This record gives sequence, structure tokens and C-alpha cells, in this order.
Amino acid sequence: MDASTVLLALVVVTALTFDFTNGFHDTANAMATSIATGALSPKVAVTLSAILNFLGAFLSLKVAATIASGIVDSGAITLPVVFAGLVGGLAWNLLTWYYGLPSSSSHALIGGVVGATFLAAGADAVKGSAIVAKVLIPAVLAPLCAIAVATVGTYLAYRITARTPDSVRKTGFRIGQIGSASLVSLAHGTNDAQKTMGVITLALVVNKTISPHAGTPTWVIAACAVTIAAGTYIGGWRVIRTLGKGLTEIESPQGFAAEGSSGAIILAASHFGFPLSTTHVCSGSIIGAGLGKKLAQVRWSLAGRMGVAWLLTLPAAALVGGIAFKASDLIGGTLGVAIVFVIGGILAAALFMAARRAPVNHENVNHEWTGKLVPEKVAP
Amino acid sequence: MSDYIDLDSLWKVLVIGLVAGAGLVSIFAAGLASLGASRGEDGTASSNPIGTVIAGLCFLIVAAGALLGIYVMLDK
Repeated sequence: MDASTVLLALVVVTALTFDFTNGFHDTANAMATSIATGALSPKVAVTLSAILNFLGAFLSLKVAATIASGIVDSGAITLPVVFAGLVGGLAWNLLTWYYGLPSSSSHALIGGVVGATFLAAGADAVKGSAIVAKVLIPAVLAPLCAIAVATVGTYLAYRITARTPDSVRKTGFRIGQIGSASLVSLAHGTNDAQKTMGVITLALVVNKTISPHAGTPTWVIAACAVTIAAGTYIGGWRVIRTLGKGLTEIESPQGFAAEGSSGAIILAASHFGFPLSTTHVCSGSIIGAGLGKKLAQVRWSLAGRMGVAWLLTLPAAALVGGIAFKASDLIGGTLGVAIVFVIGGILAAALFMAARRAPVNHENVNHEWTGKLVPEKVAP
Repeated sequence: MSDYIDLDSLWKVLVIGLVAGAGLVSIFAAGLASLGASRGEDGTASSNPIGTVIAGLCFLIVAAGALLGIYVMLDK
């Protein structure tokens, strides 16, 4: 096995790791509300979401071999740049997961690639106006759009069923929740798994393993589908807890209105080519679900922290991506990439260990929100 | 400013979000309300078949909306 094969293998493994974190970070988008209202038990929810993500990954027909297209000069993309970009995205995904903050995996990946490209090919290779138009402004508009739609939806859902017997209302909306959450999960699979497939395909093209006009190899599709499903099944319980319990207390009509709004906006945005992040839409919808119900309370300090995290996503991932590129470049060649890979792995493992000491899992995810991500241990 | 915001797509997303999102949620809610009204306060005896029929129609519309969504999702 020569050096370039090792380099390619490192990039593919890093891409799949990113895909995995993409899965567990975003389980919450589709399933947090259903878990919070008890429409689905935590385990069943993540299993259903994983299956639908897997199917979605296979159903997405067009995979584009691009990464941050239109934002960085595609000529500047080399394997070390792709690798460093993935490391930047991964670092941000893991850090935000640790703090239970939902954040956009695609913005993190774009940030990482922007940082790496900046140091690899200079400022000219990064298109600043495209960053504003495709990343920063949508990050503000997506939640506002979702808040508006979900507020109206929630208000109407309560208004229309105001005199409906509670038994019918609760059960009915729970069934609706399962349907709408499934739709969001499927949409996630078709969108997000495709991104990693694109990254790996691009890496194969750059390495001249496949020709630029060749389609995505089947093993890439299968690997990405399995990985994102596995990540989804593991479940980012910390993020699920923030969205399901932290932002507002969710009842089944709110959960249904939130997921229905998210689904409609995500599909409309993807149809019209407006780059809204699934995460931003789903978080906004949950805030809207809190606003649309009379006397419901939205915890704005938490929502504010999420907003800050979204604005920091791109620069923070860019910083890590830049450092990862510079470090591997200074050491040089495949060895440099391998060393950064090992250091990244050690740091990630340390974060997982830290998270295990104060775990959020399927057992305590629904505990009363007392202002803290990790619930107090209940005395046995 | 419009160089940075694709206003043309944005208002379409917002309108479709409201119609398909809030709209279908409301129709589903109307279905439940109708189903609830066709039953007694205790949620049992079905005394009013028209309510059940209206509820069925509402749920069909919502299901059609979901199918349209899946079609849009896969037709890219």
C-alpha cells in the first residue's frame, strides 16, 4: 500500500466519521418532539429514524462530487484540504454535541473547508460574498421562517381542537407526530447522507481513482447509508434533550405542528434551491411551537445560546480546519495527515470519556428540565 | 441587499411553508375535531357518521400532502 492509498483511506475514514456524527447530531431534528411527548419511546424513535435515514440515503439519486461548491475555488481542493475541512467540521460537531447544542453539520463542514482552503490556496480561493449569501444569512432566516410557520400551525392546532375530547386529541396528534417525524427523517437521509457521498466521491476523483464523470461507486453509497443510520441509532441524546425538553415543554399538538412545519419548509427550501439548514429549521419550529401555545414558556436564554453557536459555526470550524491543514502541511505529506488524524482521534476519545462521566441517554433524556443539560441523578 | 438574499425563493418558501405546513396541520386538527365531535364527550359511541366521514377526508388530504412531499423530495 503506497502513501497515496493511505492518504485516501484516511480521508474516507474521516468522511465516514463525519457522516456518523452528522447522524447522531441530527436525530434530534426529527425525533426530539416525539420523544418528549411520548409519541414514541426513545429507543423506538431512534430505530425508526435510523431506518428512514438509511432508506433516504439510498433513495437520493443525484450525488454531486462537490464540497462547499461556489464558496471555495474548486481548483484549490486537494486531499489534505478535504481532510482538514472534515476535521474542522467534526471538531465543531463533537463540541456542540457535548454541550447539547443543535448545530448545522453542513455549515460546520463548509467552515472547515473554508479554513483549510484559506491556508492552502490563499484568500482569493474563498468567496466571501458567497459565504454571506449561502451560509450566514440563511442561518438567520431559517429559524425566523420556521418560527413564523410553526407559531401559526400550533395556534391553529390548539384553536381548532379546543373542544375536542382530550383522549381523541392526544392520541390523534401523537399519530400525526409519528408521520411528520418520519417525513423529516427521510428528508434528512436524502439530503445529508448525500453530502458525505459527494465528499468521498470528490476525494476519489481528486486521487484519480475514478474518472470525474463516473457515478458514485455503490460501496460509497452503501457505506454512507449504513454510517448515517448507525449514527442516528446511537442517538445524540444530549441534543435531543435540549430540543425536546430544554427549549419549551412540548405537548403532542405542538410536536405535530413543529414537525409538520419543519417538513414543509425543508422540502420547499430544497425544491427552490434555498440553502436552509435542517437543524436551524427544526429548532426554529420548536420555538414556534412554544410561542403558538397560550401561556407556554420559551427559554430564550437557551435559544440565544443556540443562536450564538450557529453564528460561530463557520468561523470556529474554519479555525480548526485551518489549524489541521497547517499542522499536517508543516509535518508534510501523508505522515502529516496521519499524525493529525491520530491527534484528532485522541481528542475525540477524550471528549467521549468526559461525556460518559455525566451521560444523557435514553433513560434520562425526558427528565424534568432544571436548567441543566445533564439531569440530576435520581436516588434509587 | 437582494444580491445576498434570494428574495424570490424566500417568499416562496415562506408561503409554501405556511400553506403546506400550518395548513396541513390545521386540516389534520380539523379532522381530529370532527372525529371528536362525532363521538360523545366520553369518546365512545359514534352517533354522527358525517363527522367520521369529514374526518376521513381531512386525513386523506393530509396523507396526499405527505405523499406530494415525498415526491418532491425524490424528484430532484
